[in-house]
Amino acid sequence: MSNAFDFPGGIYPPERKQRSNQAALIEAPLPNRVTLPLQQHSGQAATPCVMPGDAVKVGSVIAKREGMISSDLHASISGTVSDVSATHITIESDGQDAWQRLPPLDWQRTEPYALFERLNESGIVGLGGAGFPTHIKARVIERHAIHTLVINAAECEPYITADDLTLRHYAGEVLEGAQIIAKLCGAQHIVIGIEDNKPEAIEALKHALPLVLSTSQPITAELKTIPTRYPSGGERQLIKKLLNLDVPSGGLPADVGVLCHNPGTLLAVLQAVRDGQPLVARIVTLTGDAIAQPGNRWVRLGTSIKELLETAGLNHSELKQVIQGGPMMGTPLPTLDTPVTKLTNCLIAATLEEFPPAPAESPCIRCGECESVCPVALLPQQLHWYARAEDNAKLERYHLFDCIECGACSYVCPSHIPLVVDYREAKRRIRLQRIETAKAEHAKHRFEFRQARLAREEAEKQARKEARKSQQRRTSTNSTTSSAASSEKVDLRGLRIAHAAAKASVKKAEKTLARVAQEDPKQPLDDLEMQLATAQENLKAAELQLAQAREQPSSEESS
Amino acid sequence: MSMMHASSVKDAATANDVPPTASLMRWVIVATLPGIATMSYFFGLGVISNVVLAAAFGVALEAAVLRLRKRPIRVTLNDSSALLTGVLLGASLPPASPWWLIGVGMVAAIVVAKQLYGGLGHNPFNPAMVGYALLLVSFPTYMTLWAPPQELLPSGLWAQITGTLPTAQLDSLSGATPLDAFKHKGDAVLASEFWATNPLPNGTLSAWRWVALAWLAGGVLLLAKRIISWHIPVAMLGSVLLLATLFYLGDPSHFASPLFHLLTGATLFGAFFIATDPVSAATSRRGKLLYGAGIGALIIIIRTVGGYPDAVAFAVLLMNLCVPLLDLYSVPRPTGQQRAPSGKPGEQP
Repeated sequence: MSNAFDFPGGIYPPERKQRSNQAALIEAPLPNRVTLPLQQHSGQAATPCVMPGDAVKVGSVIAKREGMISSDLHASISGTVSDVSATHITIESDGQDAWQRLPPLDWQRTEPYALFERLNESGIVGLGGAGFPTHIKARVIERHAIHTLVINAAECEPYITADDLTLRHYAGEVLEGAQIIAKLCGAQHIVIGIEDNKPEAIEALKHALPLVLSTSQPITAELKTIPTRYPSGGERQLIKKLLNLDVPSGGLPADVGVLCHNPGTLLAVLQAVRDGQPLVARIVTLTGDAIAQPGNRWVRLGTSIKELLETAGLNHSELKQVIQGGPMMGTPLPTLDTPVTKLTNCLIAATLEEFPPAPAESPCIRCGECESVCPVALLPQQLHWYARAEDNAKLERYHLFDCIECGACSYVCPSHIPLVVDYREAKRRIRLQRIETAKAEHAKHRFEFRQARLAREEAEKQARKEARKSQQRRTSTNSTTSSAASSEKVDLRGLRIAHAAAKASVKKAEKTLARVAQEDPKQPLDDLEMQLATAQENLKAAELQLAQAREQPSSEESS
Repeated sequence: MSMMHASSVKDAATANDVPPTASLMRWVIVATLPGIATMSYFFGLGVISNVVLAAAFGVALEAAVLRLRKRPIRVTLNDSSALLTGVLLGASLPPASPWWLIGVGMVAAIVVAKQLYGGLGHNPFNPAMVGYALLLVSFPTYMTLWAPPQELLPSGLWAQITGTLPTAQLDSLSGATPLDAFKHKGDAVLASEFWATNPLPNGTLSAWRWVALAWLAGGVLLLAKRIISWHIPVAMLGSVLLLATLFYLGDPSHFASPLFHLLTGATLFGAFFIATDPVSAATSRRGKLLYGAGIGALIIIIRTVGGYPDAVAFAVLLMNLCVPLLDLYSVPRPTGQQRAPSGKPGEQP
């Protein structure tokens, strides 16, 4: 359909989607126990708010978000909390599956702030793999004008069919979820990008589009089928393909007025708003030659991967490795004793024949094949030389950080050079170096935070003292003329300005944090979170002082 | 991490994707077979003995240097690149060249041009062409005389082993290539007069044409198997044709026709088998086009106004020199960037 625009490069790996898209979407059996990691999203880990022994229902909040880029966590089964560690909360099931839902909302009649709050308290994060908190992403309108919401249903990685099955079963719901997000971010236009290897999902979308559109007033929606080519599901690649917009390097789709969401996330958004159901389960593709019943399942978060695969007929003797995510960008799991998280979109239980070990690396012959498939038009081969030589200046000049790690270059390399592994290592090294150089800065920020906290505590003490004083004044016969207070000319105007400035710096810190967190999900955020906390402490202190100052003249007048 | 799965997915279901490096090299060797067969049909068994001898030298020298460099021998030899260099140099030499000539050429190619620079992937110059150019400037007599077609020479083979030059070849112009003959026709002689004198033994010109077409067939095979990309051969042949046409249109009485340039000498062989050596060529698509066009232009310039009748080796080596520059200035603009990264040192990204 829309071949007018294109991104460079790309490859055509064997799709192997048939294996998992034949069976219907079913619910995985309820687990007897779930282990919920506190970190299932980008940003800071959540802080537990339950104790061992607490009884929880499905949907009870068990950990609160910590800092700005973070997300709440909910119990995914009903039962008893058995363990709360620094990284996990474990819940034993009571077999009841009793739910605790939030009140349903009609999104068309609900104020945006209430919808933001609903997304926040539902613990929704991007389910496509990045895990960015959706409520932060939805608040993009505070910083950017958005014209188009893109539903990224390309699902270009081999094996994975979770989005495909989501759309086959919930096309209408996904579109409605998209309307909620479009309303929140002010997008006038919804574009659904889907690869042409998913005819059933396309059919379902075509069927659902008119129904949904008739209810939405000003928002238009369009279905765009694109040819199957990896990595068309990359955010930038898809935006280029659908809208012919170049997301600037180091920037966000929001910089060109676009917001991208995965169908699973939009479904979760609708369920949170319409049904008051927090994010406690997700659709996971179970596939690979080592399981007997491949397909897609609704899986409660925290379910053991081992048990989950066993319910799908895992053949332990055939199993070589389990890969989380797709074969191109996913990671092999070191152990099966890990739980399904908000980020688990696909589990490939692979046999040795399926993924034979990579042959030995031979020297680069400069064939340039990597360059011709790079979807970002980088020079993978030059980057390879510079990465091996640890020439960080050259790596940055040749835009290593624009690499999306799609693995197309490694895939075509005739010398079997693990290029992406090299790039990841180089990126990690450069990030570490940046942290080293930022250490002095970090110490300064820590000091500033301490100062701000002390100032806030001082202001609180002052406020308590004043309160006591006025209490005494009132109880005594009001005879003492508060000479001290009156002589101290209260600069109300100055305090008001300081308060406004403190408020502005909180906003600014929030903005920077949200931006950096989205631009580079792997960047450590604690320094920025601390700067935000400093600004918040300052704001609190300013608020207290202002309140106190307002109190004083009034008390004087009354006396 | 992704790489492991990616390459294994490919291996499990390989179809149109790039085969591994070793099999790339082997495909190039396979694609030389039509050319070598056609050459030996016209010029005798001396062609095949050249190739076999050069390949044997190549493998032996590579193994010896690897041993000195304490590098894994078997794994490295397995990539077949030394074998390929031998085949290409062997096919470029006059039939039944003396064994020591081949040996000297292969030492220059494998030891000097390749291994001393760090082995496969690190050599800035095309090894086979380094060997060829060295032989051409050092032993011009041996290198410019070709046995006339249709002479299967057992005596020539004997001369190869004893290391002498077959006396028959020294006789006259009969051993010259068409390019050589045309080059040395003298300025006073018009092209039409030159052809009218029928300067070459019967069948020489058509023999060269058949050989060129056989190389073309091998090149088409490489293109079809996606072993090489079209950029370098097309740019090179395009610029050969363009420049030859300009010269020819300017003065048809003195300059050879474009077709003559295309179908004699090593033009087609060079376009598909020499210039496409990825190690010493430019890497980006734009760079490859410039690189190929530069080789084509240099071939015509050297052939028409330079001192050598054929010029593929020098043209390729000169463009090898330009590759770092081409790589620097043909960088594509990455998606999302305002412009391509410039290679200027000290400039901020």
